[in-house]
Amino acid sequence: MTDIQADLTQPMSIAIRPAPSRQRGAGIAPWLYLAPALILLFMWTYVPLVEAFKLSFYQWNMLPTAPQRFVGLDNYRRIFALSEMRTALWNTLFYIIGLFPMSVIIPLFVAILTQDLQGRLRMLYRTLIFVPMIVPPVVAAILWRWLLSDDHGLVNNLLALAGLGTVGFLTDPHCALATLTWITGWKLIGFSTLLFSAANAGIDRSYVEAARIDGASRWQIVRDIRLPLLSPTIMLLSMMTILFGAQWSFAYISVLTNGGPLKSTTNIFYVLWEYGFETLSAGWSAAAGMITFASFAVIAFCCLRLMKRYAVYDN
Amino acid sequence: MTIDLLSQSQATGGRRLTLRTICLHALMILLSFVAVFPIYWMIVSSLKAENDIFSTTLWPAYPSLENYAYVFAKMPILRIIANTTIVSVTTAALQVLTGLLAAYALVRWRMRLAGFVNGLIALSWLVPFQVTMIPNYVFASRLGLLDSLGGLIIPNAVAAFAVLLLYHSMRSFPTEVLEAGRMDGAGHWRILWEIVAPNMRAPIASLAILAFISAWNEYFWPLLLSRKIENSVVQIGLQMFMTQEGNLWGPLMAAATLASLPILLIYLVLQRQVIESFMKSGIR
Repeated sequence: MTDIQADLTQPMSIAIRPAPSRQRGAGIAPWLYLAPALILLFMWTYVPLVEAFKLSFYQWNMLPTAPQRFVGLDNYRRIFALSEMRTALWNTLFYIIGLFPMSVIIPLFVAILTQDLQGRLRMLYRTLIFVPMIVPPVVAAILWRWLLSDDHGLVNNLLALAGLGTVGFLTDPHCALATLTWITGWKLIGFSTLLFSAANAGIDRSYVEAARIDGASRWQIVRDIRLPLLSPTIMLLSMMTILFGAQWSFAYISVLTNGGPLKSTTNIFYVLWEYGFETLSAGWSAAAGMITFASFAVIAFCCLRLMKRYAVYDN
Repeated sequence: MTIDLLSQSQATGGRRLTLRTICLHALMILLSFVAVFPIYWMIVSSLKAENDIFSTTLWPAYPSLENYAYVFAKMPILRIIANTTIVSVTTAALQVLTGLLAAYALVRWRMRLAGFVNGLIALSWLVPFQVTMIPNYVFASRLGLLDSLGGLIIPNAVAAFAVLLLYHSMRSFPTEVLEAGRMDGAGHWRILWEIVAPNMRAPIASLAILAFISAWNEYFWPLLLSRKIENSVVQIGLQMFMTQEGNLWGPLMAAATLASLPILLIYLVLQRQVIESFMKSGIR
């Protein structure tokens, strides 16, 4: 089981388990050790969360001198009526689903197919495919902007050479969303491949040997042994993609398209930022933020339930 | 070559045909190419002179550093890289510090509220930054942290991930050693720094690497706080440079190369540790 899963699934049960060596009634000492972490978390996460909730019922233009006017549920009503919001939600879904091939499916196949590769070459491949994960997002954005540039970008040059004409990867509303999803995914392939390879290498060889002696085919071994034992990793990466996929694309939207052309690449997190800091409607941003937070919390809860029920662990 | 591949596949215990092995290598080479070529192209483009930039040759006919000279003249790139280094190193150090203290408290004492505290720390992970950004921004500006490095560091001085990672590695620490320390009359502070921390070098190093890389690559919070280019970090500096210089591809590629050079060098040197720390963050 992964660290992350363990904590997300059972933060309560872990801590309550008694340990004989721990002291009881230690008074204030533990709180002194916890203080830096807790104070910072309250200052920068929980208090702001409550404030954002409050702000979602007010109208405010972010100017320190301007008054905050109570408008009740108006912000929420407005938000649901905006067509922009619908586009953003569909795009958020597109980002998440579009990332799956690169964050889960391809890496899973690669890890299973390459399990027999050994030695130095394997380390070299690992090192290379992991490089995009390290590159700063803005650098990734800029270098893809150059590669995909309408005039003289390498990719369009090659397309023109092949007689296919040029594609406005970032300027054509039909292509831009897919392009940004690709750039987000490009950074993830290496990470997911590594996680799957590690999990795959961790599978006890005796299971595979036993199945082979029983005459199981390659595909049967994959289906009945490897896939079930990889299910915790599959679920972890799926959950990360669902919960964070749309957030990962934020930097690329902001650097490359500003949500355009024709709002085709905007997503919910970019809309939150636009309402807050471009159009200065703090109330709308806060209301949309609350809806986003609530939805993702529900999704996270469902994911964890699914993970608990369906993941197979080798104990 | 064929013999080589054959003996290798026999060594792994399979009865693979060489064709299979060749296909696997082809697949991995393709993936590595997709991963690395864009970065190679960025570096090569940065070395091409202005009249050469649109050529599709894989290596510049006459490599030149004029793009780099342009960047150094137009942009305080060294200052920005220094800023980013300060922010990343400090953030990583503070995350390790606050994480160690909190993890020690959770492991060492049985508190009635431990479950609650644990949940509070874990849940903070799920709050998207864009949801709390307006109150955070207002708060930071009230504290006078706009356009300062402190403003970039302080909110990131604690990370749920850091606390949980250290908590998990500390839980497996042998309690006998702690008991022995206490018998010798060592206080908690001394036990933590003289016994626990030195024995947790591996998880601390992983955490420090991860925290450093993610601080270096942080985009959103600097986007809100930064005003002037000389007080910003590489991410924002690059974005500003891109907006100003539009389609001057050569200088843009040179600036992007310079901004990612430190982190790529660190990766080259510590490559095994970096990969391992990322893998451990997902898998025990």
